[in-house]
Amino acid sequence: MIPFNYSLRSLAVRKATTIASASGIALVVFVLASSMMLNAGIKKTMATSGKPDNAIVLRMGSDAELGSVIDESSVPLILAAPGVKADEHGQPLGVAEIVVVGAMEKLGAKGVTNVTIRGVTDRVMQFRPEVHIVDGRPPRPGTDEAIVGARIRGRIRGVDLDQSFDIKKNRPVKVVGVFEAEGSAYESEVWVDRDLLRQAYGRQGIVSSVRVRLESPAKFDAFRAGVENDKRLGLQALRESVFYEKQSEGAALFVGALGTVVSVFFAVGAMIGAMITMYGAVANRQREIGTLRALGFSRTSILTAFLLEAVLLAVVGGVVGAVASMSMALVHPSMVNPASWSEIVFSFDPTPRVLLTAILFAGGMGLLGGLFPAARAARTSPLKAIRA
Amino acid sequence: MTLSGLALRNLARNKFRVFLTALGVGIAIVAFLLLRTVIWAWASGAEFAAKDRVVTRHKVTFVMSLPKRYVDDVRNAPHVKTATWASWFGAKDPKHDREFFATLAVDPATYFTVYDEMKVPPDAMDTWKHDKQGAIVGDVLARKMGWKVGDKIILQSGIYPGDWQLNVDGIYEASARSVDRSTLLFHWDYVNDALPPQRRDNVGWIVSRVDEPGHVADIGVGLDKLFEDRDTPTLSQDERSFNASFLAMFSSILTAMDVMSAVILAIMMLILGNTIAMGVRERTGEYGVLRAIGFFPRHITLWIVGESLATGLLGGVLGLLLAWPLINLGFSRFVEENMGGFFPYFRLETANMVLGLVLAALLGAAASALPAWRASKIRVVDAVRRVA
Repeated sequence: MIPFNYSLRSLAVRKATTIASASGIALVVFVLASSMMLNAGIKKTMATSGKPDNAIVLRMGSDAELGSVIDESSVPLILAAPGVKADEHGQPLGVAEIVVVGAMEKLGAKGVTNVTIRGVTDRVMQFRPEVHIVDGRPPRPGTDEAIVGARIRGRIRGVDLDQSFDIKKNRPVKVVGVFEAEGSAYESEVWVDRDLLRQAYGRQGIVSSVRVRLESPAKFDAFRAGVENDKRLGLQALRESVFYEKQSEGAALFVGALGTVVSVFFAVGAMIGAMITMYGAVANRQREIGTLRALGFSRTSILTAFLLEAVLLAVVGGVVGAVASMSMALVHPSMVNPASWSEIVFSFDPTPRVLLTAILFAGGMGLLGGLFPAARAARTSPLKAIRA
Repeated sequence: MTLSGLALRNLARNKFRVFLTALGVGIAIVAFLLLRTVIWAWASGAEFAAKDRVVTRHKVTFVMSLPKRYVDDVRNAPHVKTATWASWFGAKDPKHDREFFATLAVDPATYFTVYDEMKVPPDAMDTWKHDKQGAIVGDVLARKMGWKVGDKIILQSGIYPGDWQLNVDGIYEASARSVDRSTLLFHWDYVNDALPPQRRDNVGWIVSRVDEPGHVADIGVGLDKLFEDRDTPTLSQDERSFNASFLAMFSSILTAMDVMSAVILAIMMLILGNTIAMGVRERTGEYGVLRAIGFFPRHITLWIVGESLATGLLGGVLGLLLAWPLINLGFSRFVEENMGGFFPYFRLETANMVLGLVLAALLGAAASALPAWRASKIRVVDAVRRVA
C-alpha cells in the first residue's frame, strides 16, 4: 500500500493549484451549508412555536390566523369542547386572539413592511409560560401599551423599548417591554391589548384564532371532533405543531429548492475544477507513477492513493467552507413569510448535522471528481511511463 | 502565424483539459444565468408596471378595506381618467386545496378598462358582464386546473364563509409581461350582496388611471389629501412603486441571490485560473526559449491572457447553449404555472445572455492575470533550466 503521506505531500507540493481547487470547493460548501442552516433555522423557529399539547382553532379553509374570522359567540363553545385543560381556578386554559398586519416603516431599508400585530388578553402570559420579558415591564391591561418580540425590536420605526408607533391615525401605542419566546415566531410579533386592536382595526365581535391547552396531546382527536362536529360553526382544529409546520412550508420550500438547485450547479462546476487539478497531477507524475508500478505497487493501491488525494483536497475545502459558513449565525435575515404576508426574522442554525452533511458532500465531490483521473493513473503502463 | 493565432493554437494542445475547463465555466454560467433570471423576473413586475396607474389602499394595513364611496371621490378627483376597485377574496378550490391562486372580486364594468393589458374575447366579456356568478380566469390558471369556458366551479374562502359557485365565462390572456396569468376574477356584487349589512360596501383597493403619467406621484399625494381627515386614511402609490415596495419585502432573498451570483463567478475564475496556471507551469521552458529568441515579456503575457480569454468565451458559449433550453423550455413553464404571482414572465433575457458572455470572457482574462504576470517576470536562464 502506498503510504498516506504520499497523497498528503503531493497536495502540499503543488500549493497554488491545491489552494485554487480547494477554494472552489470551499465556496460551494459555504453556499450549501448556509442554505441548509437557514432552512434548519426556519424549521426551528416554527417548531418551537408549536407546542405538542396545544391546539389552534381557525375558520374552515384558512391557512393562517390572518385570514381567519371566528365569531366571538363561538369562543365559549370551543373552550367547552372535550379535552381542554383547566387552570388552577377551574377555568378552561385557552386564549382567543386577533391577528392583523400593519404596514410599518422598515429601518435601514427603503419602504414599509408588514408586521404581525397580535391582540392579546391578560391571560396571554399564563397561556404561554415560555414568554418572558427581557427588557422593560409587562403592559398594564386595557391600556395603550405594547410589548414587542426581541427579534423585531429595532428593525421597524417605533418598535423598540420606550418608543411609540401609530396603530391607527393619531393613536400612538407605547412600547413598554421586549419579550423573548424561545426563538419562536412570536419574537417577530408586536403584542397589544385585544380591545385596543379591535377598536383600531374595526374587528368588533370577532377573533382570528382560539388556542387551547389540551389535557394531553392524545386528547386532540376528541377536541377536534367536538369543535368540528358542529358544522354551523364552520371551524377547524389543528395541532399547533402542524399549524406552524404548514406556516413554514412555503418559505422552507423556497429556500430549500433555491439552495438545492444552486448548490447542485455550483457543485458540478467545482467538481470539474477538482477533476482538472487531478488530471494535471496525474499527467505531471507519469514517470513517478510508472516507477511506483515498477516497484511493485498494484493498480489498486495507485488508484486508492490518487482517490485519497482528491478526497483530501475536497475535504480540506469542505472544512474551510463549513467553518466559514458558521459565521452566518451572526446574521439574522428577515423575510416575508408568504403564508402570513408579514415579516418574520429567522436565524441560521448551524446544527452538527448540517456541518457534517456539508463536509461529506465535499468528500463526495472529491471522490467523483478524482475517480477518472485516478483510474487513468492506475492504467499507466510502467514501461511506457518510465521511458517517456 | 500571428501572435494571437499562437495563443489560439495553444488552446488545442490539451484538448481534454480545455474541454473540461470550458464545461466547468459553462456550468458556472448556467447557474449564474439562472440566478440572474430569477432576480430579473422578480424585478420585472416593477419594471413593466403601467406608468399611469395609481393604487389607493388603506394607509395602515392591507387587511382593512376602504369604504366603497371612496371610488366616486377618486373618480371626481383631478387628473383621474377612470377608476375601478377590487377586493381580495382569498379563495381556494376545495378539491385542490394546495394550489394557490389569486381570487379578486372586481367591478365588471370598469376593471378591464383599467387593466387593458388583460385581454378577454369580446363575446366572453359580454356573457360575463351579465352573469352575476361569472368568472374570468387567467390562461395559465385555466390550463393548470383544467378549467374550460362553461365549467361550473365551487370555491371556498376563509374570509367569506360558505360555498361560492362560479361559472367560468371566459379566459384572459396577457399582452404585457407584468400580468399574473393565474388570477380568477369575478363580480364584486356577488360577494357584497351576500354579506351581512354591516360588512357591506367595502372595497379592498381602488385603482385609477391618470392623464399625466409624468406626475403620477403628485396625483397620488393629491388623492391621499382627499381622505386625510376622514375615518379611513389612504396610501396611494403608482403601480411601479407599489410593486417595488412589495419587492422590498423580499429584499434579503434578493441580496442572497446577488451574493450567490458573485460566488459562482468566483468559482468560475478559480477553475479558469487553475487551468491556465497549470498550462503555464508546464510550458515554462518554452517561454524561456521564446524569450531567448527575442520575444518580449508582453508577448508572453498576451499569449497567456489571450488563451484564457478564449477559454472563458468558449465556456460562456457552452453555458448559453445549455442555459437557453434549460430556462426557456424547462423551468419557464413550471415557474410560470406554479409561481406566476411572483414570476409572471420567466425567460432568459438577451441582456442577461450578453452579460453572461461578456463576464465569462472578461473574468477569463482576469483569472490569467497572476500566472501571466509571473510567467513574464521569470528570467530566461531560470525558465530554460527549469524542469516542469
